[in-house]
Amino acid sequence: MQIRNGRMAAPPALDALDNSIIEILRTNGRATNQDIAQQLSVTAATVSARLQKMEDARAMRVVAVTDFAARGYNVIIAVGVRVQGRGIQEVGRDLAKFPEVLSVNAMNGGYDLELMVALHDFSEVQEFLYDHISGIEGVAQIDSGVAVDIVKYEFNVVPLGPT
Amino acid sequence: MSAPLLDPLDRRIVDKLSFDARISNRAIAAELGVTEGTIRARIKRLQNEGLIHFTVVTDFRLAGSPNLCMMGINADPSQVTAIAEQLRRMPEINCVVLLLGRFNLLAMGLFTNIEQLNDLVSAKIRTLPGVQRVETGISVHNLKYEAGVARITQMPKGNSEINAVSKKNVVAMA
Repeated sequence: MQIRNGRMAAPPALDALDNSIIEILRTNGRATNQDIAQQLSVTAATVSARLQKMEDARAMRVVAVTDFAARGYNVIIAVGVRVQGRGIQEVGRDLAKFPEVLSVNAMNGGYDLELMVALHDFSEVQEFLYDHISGIEGVAQIDSGVAVDIVKYEFNVVPLGPT
Repeated sequence: MSAPLLDPLDRRIVDKLSFDARISNRAIAAELGVTEGTIRARIKRLQNEGLIHFTVVTDFRLAGSPNLCMMGINADPSQVTAIAEQLRRMPEINCVVLLLGRFNLLAMGLFTNIEQLNDLVSAKIRTLPGVQRVETGISVHNLKYEAGVARITQMPKGNSEINAVSKKNVVAMA
């Protein structure tokens, strides 16, 4: 049985050159078009056009990933939310508006929504959980877990398409 | 509060790179009114300290539109660190977090098929010594994902310097 996300859009077709460009950028996202072109024996203009095409198709994106610590986020919390009396996705979209909320997923499981929240320090936790999140209509219950160590965080496949 | 890891110039460089990771050092230098050498040195330092990392993220559709699955794990407290290490080594798992509160550990992975998830949970996770309970939740819809901020745990190749942040974590865990 296949479990699927709601989005049915067909994946953009990538050829061998596109994939080679992606592989080089995966290890060094700052490689110049000229560097990539030399490694693959094509022109820099070709590399530039391929990157543009893939970004326009929302197939890939080169990102600068900053560490939580570099942004001053010292407290990371995983929050499970139970919703009552309102649509789950509607509540999720309201929660997604908080800049401190890094991710929102509508779930099938013990909770209706799962949030990953980043805060600067513990003094912000109470206000964020009990005023901001709990203030959203439809939030009936929250259950939070404070991250004491993040031993792995490697997502190189992400939703880039419209959600 | 610990001392800020980024000074105002670092912050402005990071802001430019967060907006466009492919912007040239020359263009950043021109916009911020400093030399290209300064920009190159600042970026190198941030990379060496594990504060910034440049990579490619590809869309879910190219991976067969997987679903994010979250596994909340309760375990014997004396085994939590060892379980975290074993989960970290599993290629199917993208994220492992030690938690205080709802679970002892939270693990996440991307799956295109439910058998694959079930095999991982029943054959590889529930069987780990010390694991008491695994609560699995499947994301049916992603409403937000911020790819630009993460915990940087992989160090650049050929770099022997230890990430200041991970070093702190290792001490805290010991």
